[in-house]
Amino acid sequence: MLKAVRKAFTTLSLFLFPFTFLMAQEDADFMRSMGKMYVVVAVIAAIFIGLVIFLVYLDRKLTRLENQIIHHE
Amino acid sequence: MNLFKEIIFLLRKEFKLEWRQKYALSGILLYVLSTVFIIYISFQRVSPQLWNVLFWIIMLFASINAVVKSFVQESGHRQLYYYQLANPIAILLSKMLYNASLLLLLSVLTFSALSFIAGNPVEEAGQFSLALLLGSLGFSITFTFVSAIAAKADNSSTLMAILSFPVVIPILLLLVNLSAHSIGLLQSTMIGRDIMLLASVDLILVALGLVLFPYLWRD
Amino acid sequence: MKKHWWKALGVVIVLYSFFMGLLTPLKTGILEANPASVRTGQEVMLEVKGYNSFYTQAQNELRAWLKMDSERALAARRVEVVDDRLVKLTFDIPAFLPVDKKVQDFTLILDSPADGASVLPSGVFVTQDSINAALGETAWPNADIANLHEKAAITFPFRNILGETIRNTYYHVPLWFAMFILFISAVVYSVKHLRNFDQRYDEQAAALTSVGILYGILGLVTGAIWAKHTWGAYWSFDVKQNMTAVGLLIYGAYFVLRASFEDPEKKARISAVYNIFAFATLIPLLYVIPKLTDSLHPGAGGNIAFGSQDLDNTMRMVFYPAIIGWTLMGVWMAQLIFRMNRLKHRLLEE
Repeated sequence: MLKAVRKAFTTLSLFLFPFTFLMAQEDADFMRSMGKMYVVVAVIAAIFIGLVIFLVYLDRKLTRLENQIIHHE
Repeated sequence: MNLFKEIIFLLRKEFKLEWRQKYALSGILLYVLSTVFIIYISFQRVSPQLWNVLFWIIMLFASINAVVKSFVQESGHRQLYYYQLANPIAILLSKMLYNASLLLLLSVLTFSALSFIAGNPVEEAGQFSLALLLGSLGFSITFTFVSAIAAKADNSSTLMAILSFPVVIPILLLLVNLSAHSIGLLQSTMIGRDIMLLASVDLILVALGLVLFPYLWRD
Repeated sequence: MKKHWWKALGVVIVLYSFFMGLLTPLKTGILEANPASVRTGQEVMLEVKGYNSFYTQAQNELRAWLKMDSERALAARRVEVVDDRLVKLTFDIPAFLPVDKKVQDFTLILDSPADGASVLPSGVFVTQDSINAALGETAWPNADIANLHEKAAITFPFRNILGETIRNTYYHVPLWFAMFILFISAVVYSVKHLRNFDQRYDEQAAALTSVGILYGILGLVTGAIWAKHTWGAYWSFDVKQNMTAVGLLIYGAYFVLRASFEDPEKKARISAVYNIFAFATLIPLLYVIPKLTDSLHPGAGGNIAFGSQDLDNTMRMVFYPAIIGWTLMGVWMAQLIFRMNRLKHRLLEE
């Protein structure tokens, strides 16, 4: 259970990182220039980061599995 | 008919047990009274809006404390005893009924304590008591079932809180809405639909609980 | 390759939604009219800023109206094009308004053969000093708004507050729909597990749920970014946001429950029971949504973005495929998790 909680926290902080980055340059004018096109860019970037997080998660689980197999043999 | 008799029998057993170990019941009563007192000390003047929210929050925590013992705190020996003797459906129904009456009592008590200290803002008494009835039914159904689930795990009391809070939020939202309407904070023409929705959710959850409970019980 | 066609299909559809969603231009719109509030009985000169507009191509055929309702509209006396993005309109506003109010809002309509018609709802507010509805009724003309041009190109609608962010409809909203499809199919797998206690069904349910959670978090984050820059707040206590949050809490609890069992058979059975029961408690939230019409979210009430009239056919051509594409991608991701967990299982059993 503790492991699950810790995992949730790392995921959350990974998500908050680009978020705080966005907030740092909260220059509303920038986000609103070009008909708010940068909002679309930020949304697509967030989705991309989500997919990368999925890959990292899968990678780590696979590494653990490989180690187990090596151990097994 | 046999099932009906079994339920009555189990219900009487629950009441008897409760009467014998008065500490559980009195503990919850004390909890309600002290919470209401703390509210009095810290707020002194309670607006109807706050009253509504506080009432349901006190109810939420008191209900969890009251229901948690129905499966989680039941001893292993007694579980085994039930398992050999009774029909699982009868067990679940009797526990739900017992908890519903307990929660109804609790809600009436919370209501009178809160209105004694912070005044009674309720304008439509009929609607409010309907909210109390449907609320204690809904709380009892969800918490009893979740308690049955949590009892199967090792650290069940913590698990009980984690599992039951998200599950009860939708019902709680409807209840707060309904009682806000009875207090006069909200003007809505669709309050009848809200009541129907609450009643049908209670029914769906009972039916689902009855279907799913045998899967929990077999071990 | 025969077994994998649906993965390729998912990727192709998502790519299509990205390309179509990003490359299709918006319709011509009006950003603002300056001054936004004028008085009666004057000759007013409005400076109108266009978006994606080509006013110079339409020089003499540009027409403009101030419209109050279907019976009352005032045509511009003079239209003067400054450049592609700026046009100056001259209106002779009568001395009285045809209403019993001091202030009335008017919709600005601009029609050009090059760009088609564009609209700025409540773009100009007219204030009158004294109220005389009967006089206003005779003074106010009903200019015929006819022969509006339609731009012959594939475009997305222009909405004032949204601007280009209307494209987020293809990136944010499908995640939410796909999340629901994944959660529902997880419940179906849980039911299947309870029918014959096959371990694999439960693992399918868990894998689908975890991808659903990923989509849910992504939906919340992208929605928050979008909301911040269109309505001004990350979280606006909107029903759909709350519902996604409750759903995430429930499925978070689902994984905590799974983690607290050692015995795989017991874990599968009990978490399947919780999954079905918890999903049923979400029902009231589904019903509450259409009731709260004052919700801030696009899609509810008379708000901007996609109500029935706003999701036009061009948008549907991208939006519905995007839902299918993201669902297929989600199923693929869930299959990866599922297969890995199967392998781990096999390893432990040996």
